[in-house]
This record gives sequence, structure tokens and C-alpha cells, in this order.
Amino acid sequence: MATELTLPRLGQGMESGTIVRWLKQEGDSVEKGEALYELDTEKVTQEVEADASGVVLRILAGEGEEVDVGKPVAVIGEEGEQVEEAEDAPKAEADERAPEPKQEAAREEQREPEPEPPAERVEPQEPAASDGRVKASPLARRIARERGIDIAQLRGTGPEGRIVAEDVERAAATPAAPPSAPAEVERVELTKIRRTIARRLTDAWTIPVFQLNVSADTTRVGELVRKHREANEDVRLTVTDVLTKVCAQALMCHRTVNAQYTDDAILRFPTANVGIAVATTSGLIVPVIRSAERLTLSQIATARADVVERARGGKLRQEDLEGGTFTISNLGMPQYGIEQFVAVLNPPQAAILAVGATEERVVPRDGELEILPMVTLTATFDHRAVDGADGAEFLAMVKAFVEEPGLAL
Amino acid sequence: MPELSYREAVRDALSRAMREDDDVFIMGEDIAEMGGSMGVTHGMLAEFGPERVRNSPISEMAIVGAGIGAAMQGMRPVVEIMYEDFLTLACEQLVNQAAKHRYMSGGQLKVPLTVRTQGGAGWSPGAQHAQQLEAWFVHIPGLKVVFASTPSDVRGLLWSAIYDDNPVVFFEHRTLYGLKESVPDELEPIPLGLARVHREGSDVTVVATGRLVHESVSAAEMAESDGISVEVLDPRTLQPLDEDTIVKSVKKTNRCVVAHEAVTRMGFGAEIAAIVQHQAFDWLDAPVERVGARFTPLAFAPVMEQFVVPHADDVLQAIKRTVGKA
Repeated sequence: MATELTLPRLGQGMESGTIVRWLKQEGDSVEKGEALYELDTEKVTQEVEADASGVVLRILAGEGEEVDVGKPVAVIGEEGEQVEEAEDAPKAEADERAPEPKQEAAREEQREPEPEPPAERVEPQEPAASDGRVKASPLARRIARERGIDIAQLRGTGPEGRIVAEDVERAAATPAAPPSAPAEVERVELTKIRRTIARRLTDAWTIPVFQLNVSADTTRVGELVRKHREANEDVRLTVTDVLTKVCAQALMCHRTVNAQYTDDAILRFPTANVGIAVATTSGLIVPVIRSAERLTLSQIATARADVVERARGGKLRQEDLEGGTFTISNLGMPQYGIEQFVAVLNPPQAAILAVGATEERVVPRDGELEILPMVTLTATFDHRAVDGADGAEFLAMVKAFVEEPGLAL
Repeated sequence: MPELSYREAVRDALSRAMREDDDVFIMGEDIAEMGGSMGVTHGMLAEFGPERVRNSPISEMAIVGAGIGAAMQGMRPVVEIMYEDFLTLACEQLVNQAAKHRYMSGGQLKVPLTVRTQGGAGWSPGAQHAQQLEAWFVHIPGLKVVFASTPSDVRGLLWSAIYDDNPVVFFEHRTLYGLKESVPDELEPIPLGLARVHREGSDVTVVATGRLVHESVSAAEMAESDGISVEVLDPRTLQPLDEDTIVKSVKKTNRCVVAHEAVTRMGFGAEIAAIVQHQAFDWLDAPVERVGARFTPLAFAPVMEQFVVPHADDVLQAIKRTVGKA
């Protein structure tokens, strides 16, 4: 049985194509999938494969001939098979066909492009990405980008299935699909580190504490970090590093805070070993920067980068975690953006500093309103070792150092 | 507040300027005894005399050329071209002379000339007496272009055009001459380059000029009943253009329709669409829709004329397309 091959639609909007060259001649055998002819469309010239195997019985469209999509171009069948003459007709017709006249000028300016059936608009059957390209408005793309939504997963309800802003907003508002069946309670066995965290925080809860907080202008810290980074490309100074340094300096001025309460004495330490709270996949861990008051900012940054990296890689040694006299917990990084919070004491240390996000705030100053980058610092103190006034003096000094880091030198 | 028609508002601005300032005079075809073919200058001959209300020969080139000469000599002439279709006859003077002298003389010469003209369909004037050719002139650096749509706008803008030190092509719309509006006793000049928000809305911004401002406001009211909130802006001055107001509005509504009576293709709306897509690309939730006349000489037969030029319903359909409700 002979098979008539028709001109395929190779792309959206393709109405016709011109046969450039036949790669098989009448009488040649061809396998399905083998290139049969070269076709020139408005966009590309490409080889078109045979969609049947057999012998090319007839070629119905000559080289250089323009053929409409769906019109026959060749007949493939078994050797010696007869082809009905009627199938030849399109060739003659095509040969004589004059180029179609352009539409009248007046019609080109149609004010009402053909509307789609309304039903399709409401529930488009085709996903917006049917041809591999996601059709979405610029606004929809921007919102998706900002909210981290994969636009290719959405279904568009706009004209021609376009994803519009509303579709993205709907997706953003829809919570992740709940599991289809009620889930089992997940049991996570306690790791050693988790047991330690639990024990130490429970211990901390028994300690009478008080909190103080201040807000500080971080303009100068921001400048310092920026200039330091410019000057030291291999050391990436962070706000936490500057805070480590200024806290260490303040602790040296207020030794009552750099302390530890024991049953029969309060121990005041001669150096500031500042712990940095680090979130890791296995839990919170607090490596220590030793004698931070004696280190330069670059040294602190290098030491901090080293311990944080090893903490995240699970490669900390026991001594990295020991001997801390004070802790800084910073949740102000952009990925959290926490404005302020209260940290739980890290016993046996007598104080911990919770650092919020640096954010622009309107601050009254000399009767004027100024917009300044501000951070809120909240310190938690062991009241057995530190009195309120001592804590306040310490925190006031930290604020002063943050606002002018030069004072900490 | 007195109520003035658009026609009276034009006359009011001309008369006040001529009363205050001897440098201002008007010139054009049949503007004296006849009061102009649209009746705008009716009665002005009696008040100001033939020296300052001057009939001209039937030569648009001469009218504009004489205006340019007078302007360069320190006058503030306002010349009338009876139909904007006839601006084509004065193009050499406008495009190659008026627009260029200030630049080519390094600022030694100024051409404070106002060229008033009118056009617009809706009364079967045929193909040669109702075109909207503002897009021709916004393309020429050195010319300012105004297209006012209400009595208060036309009065305040014409005043500013007369006192602008650059040549201004000042378009009026034929079918708006009878439109009335209460205007303040005091003439308040409207600075060139400032758009007017006719109606605030949150879903679609329609940027419309001339007659289409009113059609767009009607369309906005119809859209309202479908729950679509439409903002209608009239740039009023097409050159210089108040891009900020347009872009700000589109950033608010995320959708834009441009509407004018001129032919859509290569029209003023194309420039608005380009500005919007460039400056508000990431705010657009739909393609910018354009509403304008079909690409054909204007038909004479009323029913065909109606078919060619856009109306409120065309604006409404475009609004609906932008919100996916067409």
C-alpha cells in the first residue's frame, strides 16, 4: 500500500515551504527517518525525514517549488506498485499557482485581532510552554524571579495561554501541596550534638538572666567593611568580624562581663575568647576565636572563616569549641533578616550578644529625621555574675564602638 | 466660573494675549470678517482691527513663512491653517525653516510662532479635510506639538504656546469646538510638557489624545461596570512629552492602551508603546494595545467613516484584551 507523504508543519506559524533539493530520487529506497529532501521555510533550511519506509514511487513537488503544509510531496510504497494518477494533480496546480496577493492595506490595520474562544482563556488546554518557550508577561517573570517561583511549572490564564502576574501570584499564595496520605510521624534519633545542645540550653534555662538592648548606627561599620574588602581582596571581612573585635575590646574594659559564675567564686578572664554561633546542618555549634582583643580585623576574619568552614564541614576539633568567655549570635544576615531577638545564654559564659539585621530606619537627630542603617543588639547576661549597670555600661560601649569602630583601637 | 466652549476658550486665550501684548497678532485664511471657517476668531476683527486680525492669501506656505518672519523680528504671531491637511503645503516653512532657525543661528534667532490648526473626523469631511497628522510633526526636532482635548486645556495651553519662544504646532479637534466646560475667570497657563490625569484607575492605563480622550473616558466608565479600573491620561503636549507621568501610571496598572484618532500604523501611539515597553518592561503584564484609525484614506460616507475611525467601544475592547477578558 503506497503512502502519501505530506509537507509537515515544522514550526509555529509555518504555512508553506519550498523544496530545495531532493535527496532521494524516484525509484530509490528510503528508510523511515532517513533524510528525504531539503526544505526551506521562512526561518530555516532543514532536512525532512521520510515518515515511511519503502521505495520512492513518485515525487510530486519539484525542486524550487513552494508547497503548502499538508499537501502531498511524494509517494512511498513497494517496488513496482502503481500510483493513481489523481495524486499527480497537486503538482500541476502548484506549478501554476501565483503568489497570493497581499491583503488589502485597509485590512492590515485590524483593530480587533481574532479573539480566542473564551473557554480557552479561562482554562487553557495547552501549557504555556508547549513549544519549549515559556510564554509569560514581563511582570509575571519579574514577580516569579523575585519570589523564586519556577515559571515553567505554571499554567497561564492570559491570552493564548500566557502566564500573567495573577497566575504567579496565585502560585505564590498556594501552599505546597499536602502529602496525599496522612504522613507517619517522623522519628529523628538524637545525635550527640543534639543531646549536647538540649542539655546545655536546659542548663541555661535555670540561670537567672536579664536582657538589655540598644540600637546602633552602622554607617561606619559598613564603610569599614567596604574599605577593608577593597584593600584586602583575599580576606573577606564581615560585620560579625567587626563585632567580634569591638566586643573583645569592650570585654577587656568591662571584665565583669567577661566572666563565669561558679558555686564559690566569680571567675574573670584575662582575655576575650569570643564564640561565634554557627548554624550547621547537624545543629548549632559555637567555635571560639581566641584572644580576639589582640587580633587585627584581618586575623579575626581569617580565623572566623577557618572555623566556620570547618564547622560546616564537620571538621572542628574539640579545642575549637572550648574556652569561650562570650558568644555572638548573628541572625541579621540577609537570608534571615531577623530584626532583633533574644539569645539563650551559652553556659558557663556570663553573656551573649544577639545581633539583628542592619536595616534603614528613620532616626530623629537634632530635630531632623535621618535615614540611617541601624542594627539592634540584644545582650543576655547571667545576673548571678553581672549586675544591670555593668551590663548596661558594657553594651553602651559596644554601641559606641559600633558607631565609631576607631574607638576600639 | 464661566462656562466656555472649546471654540470660545481658544478665542479667549487669543483675545487675552492680544489685549495684554501688542506683539501678538493673528493671521490666516478668512479669519477676519468671516471669523474663520470654524468661527474661532468671530468678533475679533471688531475688537482688534485689521492690522492685528489679518486675512491672508490662500497660501499656507506664505502664511507660515510670514509668521516665521514676524516671529524672528520679535512678534508673537498666531497663524491659522484652516485644516491640518493643509499643513502639508507649509511643511517646508515648518520643517526646514521654523524648526531650524534657532539651532542654525546658534540661538541668535528665535521663532516664537504658534501655528493653530484643526482636524478630525465625525462629520463626513472626506479624505482631505479630517486627517490627524500630529505624528508628522512630533518627529521634527525643533517643533513643539500640542493637542488639547478640553476647553480649559486648550485655553491654558494656547497661552503657553504663544509665550513659548519656540515654534509650536497647535492642534485642535473639529468635533470638540462645541464641548463646554466651566473654566476659572483667571486664565491659568498650563505648562507645555505636562500630562493630565482625567480619571484614576488601577488596572489599565489609557493614554489618549484629542477626541479619543473623551471616548476613552466613556470606555473607562463602561469597563468599570465589568470590574476593570481604568486610568485615563492625556499627554496634552505631544512634544515635549510627559514620559514620567505615563511610565509611572503604567508601573501602577501594569497594562497600557494608547488611543488616538490618527491612523494606528507609525502613529504617535507607537512611540508611547516604545517608551512604555522600554521604561516599564518589567511592569508590563500584557502587550501594549494600540487604538487608532484603520490604514486607509478616510471615507466620506458616514457609515464608512465611522468604521474607519475608533470609538469608545474600540478602546473598551482594547482595555479588555489587556486584562485577558476580551
